[in-house]
Amino acid sequence: MVAPVAEKLTPEVVFRDYAPRIYNLARRMLGNDADAEDVTQDVLLQVVRKLDTFRGDAQISTWLHRVTVNAALAHREKRATRQRRETADPADELLETAAPETAVRRWSVAPDEPVLAAEQQEVIERAINELPVPFRDVYLLADVEGLPNADIGEMLGLSVAAVKSRLHRARMRMRDLLAPHFEELKP
Amino acid sequence: MTCDELVAALVDFLGGELVIEVRETVEVHIRGCARCEAYVATYTHTTRLTRALPRCGAIPPDVEARLRKALEAEMGGE
Repeated sequence: MVAPVAEKLTPEVVFRDYAPRIYNLARRMLGNDADAEDVTQDVLLQVVRKLDTFRGDAQISTWLHRVTVNAALAHREKRATRQRRETADPADELLETAAPETAVRRWSVAPDEPVLAAEQQEVIERAINELPVPFRDVYLLADVEGLPNADIGEMLGLSVAAVKSRLHRARMRMRDLLAPHFEELKP
Repeated sequence: MTCDELVAALVDFLGGELVIEVRETVEVHIRGCARCEAYVATYTHTTRLTRALPRCGAIPPDVEARLRKALEAEMGGE
């Protein structure tokens, strides 16, 4: 089998293939469209200035995650006064880690690859946006972007143990937020 | 293993990072505890549903137009 010839990276190709991914990650991290637009523009300009240095899709994908996360964190830092209560470390105390004390109702979810209706997507996006910022970042990178814990730790300046702890708490909160929307109806 | 210990091990359990002995202890607990069994199922659903989100939703047309303009300005300035 002949390997497909890699498409030459041009600004148009970069825009078409990567701008939506950058924009969606930034919007989910920052929670609003205007900030996501600023970050996307910043990242796209960085990419096109360095186009000649990339050797392939895998390399640019990894780099883009890192640059987008850095740009989003920097953007958030600029707005630190407004968001201080969300980014403070005591947020660690906000999410529970104990086992449930009451019976847990089962969910009605397709067994294999779930296909989300628009309304379900909206419910999940809203729940992610409700997570305190330090947990949202880890949750997005792990469970939406599918990045390894070690990479997430490197991007966010956290140990792998801290990434796992935040991921676990975020998943528990997400489970609680999604439960009312996915629980089976009582017979 | 208590219910709290099981819940604390869930990230490693789902990530396949537990040593076999601990993994088996978790599995035995899940089989014998209806509450944890249901909890693990819903915790797992949470990650599966989230992973089903589109990573590349479309950019709103007005945002796309402004981004393209900024990109063109950058390229024109070289």
